[in-house]
Amino acid sequence: MTKESRTKSNVSRRDALRLMAAGGIACFAAPNLIGKPDIARAADKKPAGRVVVGLSQEPTVFNPLMAHIETDDAVHFSLFDALFRMDPGGVLQPNLALEVPTQKNGGISADGLNWRVRLRDDVRWHDGQPFTAEDVKFTLELITNPKFRAWRTGGHSLVRDLTVVSPTEITWRMEQVFAPYLSFLTETFIVPKHLLEKEADPNAAAFNQAPVGTGAFKWSQRVAGDHLELAANPDYFGDGPYVEQVIFKYIPDQTVLYTQFKSGDIDLTDQAYITPDHYDEASKLPGRVVSRVPGASVESFYLNLERPQFKELAVRQALYAAMDRKAIIDALYFGVVTTTETFMPKESYYFNPNLPAQEFNLDAARKLLDDAGWVPGSDGIREKNGVRLAFNNSTTSGNNLREQVQQFLQQTFAEIGVQMTISNLPAAVMFGEFWLKSQFDTAISGVTHLIAADPDATNRLASSAIAAKGGKGSNVGQYSNPEVDALLKKGAQTFDPEARREIYYRIQEIVRQDLPFLPLFAATYVVGTKEGLEGWEPNTNTRTASWHAAGWHWKS
Amino acid sequence: MTAIAANSPRERWWNSRTAHRFMKHHLALIGMVMIALLTLACVLGPHVLPYDSLYIDLRARFAPPLTGQHYLGTDPLGRDLAARLFMAGRISLLVGFSAMLLSTLIGTLVGVVAGYRGGLIGTVLMRGVDGFLSFPSIFLVLALAAALKPSPIMITVVIAATSWMEVARIVEAEVRSLREREFVLAGRMLGLSATHIMFREILPNAIGPIIVAATLTVARAILMEAYISFLGYGIQPPLPSWGNMLNGAQQYLGTAPWLAIIPGAAITIAVTSFNFIGDGLRDAFDVRGDHS
Amino acid sequence: MRSFLLNRFAQSLVLLLIVSIIGFVVLNLIPGGPLAQFGLDASMTQDDLKRLAEQLGLNRPLWVQYLDWAWRLLTGDWGHSFRDGAPVLEVIGRHLMATLLLMGSSTVIAIAIGTWIGVRGAVKRYSVFDYVATVGAMVALSIPTFWFGLIGIYVFSLKLGWLPAGNMYTIGDESVLNYLHHLILPSVVLALVHVAIWSRYMRTATLDVINQEFIKTARAKGLSERHILMKHVIGNALLPMITLLGMQLPSVLTGALVTETVFTWPGMGRLFLDSLGYSDYPVVMGLLMFSAILVVVSNLAADIVVAIIDPRIRLS
Repeated sequence: MTKESRTKSNVSRRDALRLMAAGGIACFAAPNLIGKPDIARAADKKPAGRVVVGLSQEPTVFNPLMAHIETDDAVHFSLFDALFRMDPGGVLQPNLALEVPTQKNGGISADGLNWRVRLRDDVRWHDGQPFTAEDVKFTLELITNPKFRAWRTGGHSLVRDLTVVSPTEITWRMEQVFAPYLSFLTETFIVPKHLLEKEADPNAAAFNQAPVGTGAFKWSQRVAGDHLELAANPDYFGDGPYVEQVIFKYIPDQTVLYTQFKSGDIDLTDQAYITPDHYDEASKLPGRVVSRVPGASVESFYLNLERPQFKELAVRQALYAAMDRKAIIDALYFGVVTTTETFMPKESYYFNPNLPAQEFNLDAARKLLDDAGWVPGSDGIREKNGVRLAFNNSTTSGNNLREQVQQFLQQTFAEIGVQMTISNLPAAVMFGEFWLKSQFDTAISGVTHLIAADPDATNRLASSAIAAKGGKGSNVGQYSNPEVDALLKKGAQTFDPEARREIYYRIQEIVRQDLPFLPLFAATYVVGTKEGLEGWEPNTNTRTASWHAAGWHWKS
Repeated sequence: MTAIAANSPRERWWNSRTAHRFMKHHLALIGMVMIALLTLACVLGPHVLPYDSLYIDLRARFAPPLTGQHYLGTDPLGRDLAARLFMAGRISLLVGFSAMLLSTLIGTLVGVVAGYRGGLIGTVLMRGVDGFLSFPSIFLVLALAAALKPSPIMITVVIAATSWMEVARIVEAEVRSLREREFVLAGRMLGLSATHIMFREILPNAIGPIIVAATLTVARAILMEAYISFLGYGIQPPLPSWGNMLNGAQQYLGTAPWLAIIPGAAITIAVTSFNFIGDGLRDAFDVRGDHS
Repeated sequence: MRSFLLNRFAQSLVLLLIVSIIGFVVLNLIPGGPLAQFGLDASMTQDDLKRLAEQLGLNRPLWVQYLDWAWRLLTGDWGHSFRDGAPVLEVIGRHLMATLLLMGSSTVIAIAIGTWIGVRGAVKRYSVFDYVATVGAMVALSIPTFWFGLIGIYVFSLKLGWLPAGNMYTIGDESVLNYLHHLILPSVVLALVHVAIWSRYMRTATLDVINQEFIKTARAKGLSERHILMKHVIGNALLPMITLLGMQLPSVLTGALVTETVFTWPGMGRLFLDSLGYSDYPVVMGLLMFSAILVVVSNLAADIVVAIIDPRIRLS
């Protein structure tokens, strides 16, 4: 086992839980996902109070299986349940299932192909009907229905022979070994068969406007363009809910979001959180609790590796050395975010802390370019073999912070003889073919490489994922390294976390060396809560701050 | 040879009654002075000021006005606001002026032809004008700005595309009323070609309303540019424009309000000046006597 | 008369057709499309995106998509939003109320204040009040609405804390008072330009009346100044005022757009920006047609009114 420096504080608890789960100790009761002992038992206490959550993008998709964006997750997590959930420590916890299937407890066969999941028998839908394995079967089949506008079919498309053995047991066979599927299932919410099966067109079902789930909260009402209300589900099988009402309020402007947080109109700031320039003031507000929550995305300077300028490692290294990350983080982001050297979120079990740190050194950058033969031309811009070190950089127009970073980098790069031209686009334009089919020169964006917190980054790093060359993923930088390809394949077929960790450590090492993209910083969000709101905890493994509304309660 | 429809003895235009009336209009004079000053400031300002409008200095961020040599303060990247303001003024004024030229050209062309010809051509053209007017201009502007690359030239074209209709309408009405005048009939009897009559006889006499419309179009174009840049679809950084400076200032309203106040004041001054001038011109060209 | 009206009606239909075609083309020119919102999603593969494009009918040739949309429109089906699947008309309807509230209140303010300023200015022509009013009107027409709104937020919301910074109401408190509290700032800001227009217009209208002969006659008869003024000014100004109001109608969408952005007001302008941002084609086209129909209908109505009054047309 390679030497690892343990920098996380709750590592021992996490390891213990993981070993527990791996050791096949069945957990029959869904443990409290937060694990804090001071939450009073729900049985005798009636849910009281209301929590208003502010979102700066409007949730509009309420069928969790349909294509949706991050902000819709906030609502889905409250209305629905999945077979398992991932807790803040990265450990899989059973949710609708009785236990997490593993190779050790027989839930997954030794060859990784046959799966068996045992389900709870005390779960009811919001309309009173009992939840059974039929609902799970229906859900998985709906996702792969060619007429249904499903979100992602990765993993689900490998499922064969779905069999309902009993109302509380379901089995299936995977077409090929796919370890990330466990994590994928944490984001696959189960929908009711009895309500959706009779719909001629599931895309236009009434269910989509008034969803029914098994979650801690029920659908109450929606005022489109303004807010949506959820009411407590008193018959929830799990722990909670402790508040009577959760309201998701849509505030399109982040500054107004902050103002309303300040004035007390909202109790919790969710997507896209408080802007870094308000962090200082926010943390001093009386009656408010402000936390810096790490996110799963990494803000990077993406390079299109098929452009002649970026084919040379020396150029990439020089550009990396010419980025004054400290100034960007301290000045432009007010110290809220932190540096990183890899695509893996720091909170992940698979994060490699031993990667070489970047150093801002203009002289070193110039030397790298000089040594590689890039000589300044008559206009001061370096060139070699007729190729000028001049390129475009694009980011989402209207995002002030990113535009500031761009202009700062433009100035710094000019000092080493590199000409960067800014050419921004609105988000709706940028992330179409321009991004996916690698039509950009360079781009600045925050990208999450992981799916459902599983370390498998095949979609982003494998050479088979280059869409511009006919591939199937979103490897927009067109990165191609055969060793990484082989390791990614192996990682996706290994179930044991320890073994996987070795593989992904090595992948991160290679990627850091190759520098297909230049990491700027690891996303950190400023989340504000009103004092007195307890039971709220961030979870990097989900995409929303409202992943566990069931545990929220007001201090009495 | 141009037939003279108005005053008999040939006189210099600056001595004409129109010019005299214009001079009496105090507001219009103020407007002209302001525009002259503003243009001068935008052209010379960046050369005269101690700081470059592009130089980023992260240690001097958010300096309020009158800090050291930053007369108007600095922006979130530490760039001198005064220098940025005048550079932005160049772009905003240029875009406004060019959009006016383009839309006046198109509008006048369409208006003169439609007004003189009348009949089927006239109807078709004017219905075309109506068609464009039915389009919510914001939709066209934003959608076009999103579809095309948002360079200053594109923005100019887009703004012109939504402004030429007013000019066309005004010109068409004016030409239609001039069409029946004696000098036009005389011209026709002399055998002058339609083109000659339209552009050498009628147009010079319709110049009054055209100039008024043009001035007001500049005002409108500057506002339009501010609107679309504010919404994020217009001039993109690093090119500054008054509109996108306001876009960047919104976030810092509570902590650095001067970032929003100053560019907005500049826009207001420029647009007000053009409106004053336009008003003065309208009064000056109005031969129907006392109407104030 | 009848042939005239039929003629205009037919022209209006053609106009709507052209507007819809241009709108459709421009919208589809924008690169990106409704699936760009998933562009950063790590889990969406090219297959997923292709499948979604197919299911949304985006792979068909443009003219097929257009004809399909146009045909459905004629049968009353305005389509469904790509985002929440709700019928487009319903989506527009929800936001329409918010915009009408805003436009309505700002129009009321504008007419009330504008009339007072205009009439007073006309009566006390060339006084200081008149001069200030005239200059003020020109300045008001030149101020960018959103800038005025931002200053308003800064002064009344951030510094003084008297008024809320956005939204239509505070959740949980749906009282009329709360609505009004939130309505003040946005409607005043939006009214700025209209106050200027109305005051100038009413001033001219009042002057017209004051100078007419019959006023002098009435004055000679001994009727009170104010009585004359009110009766005749309003009478004179009424019909053109209705025409002017009619001309304002089409700007229901565009006029409030920037104000709604600054004040996060959930109206149609806000809807348009959001839908454009997500390339929600059905909603954007729906808004476009809605706005175009408003323009065409109001033009048609104006033509009809003119036709009724103008004997040359009536008798033809």
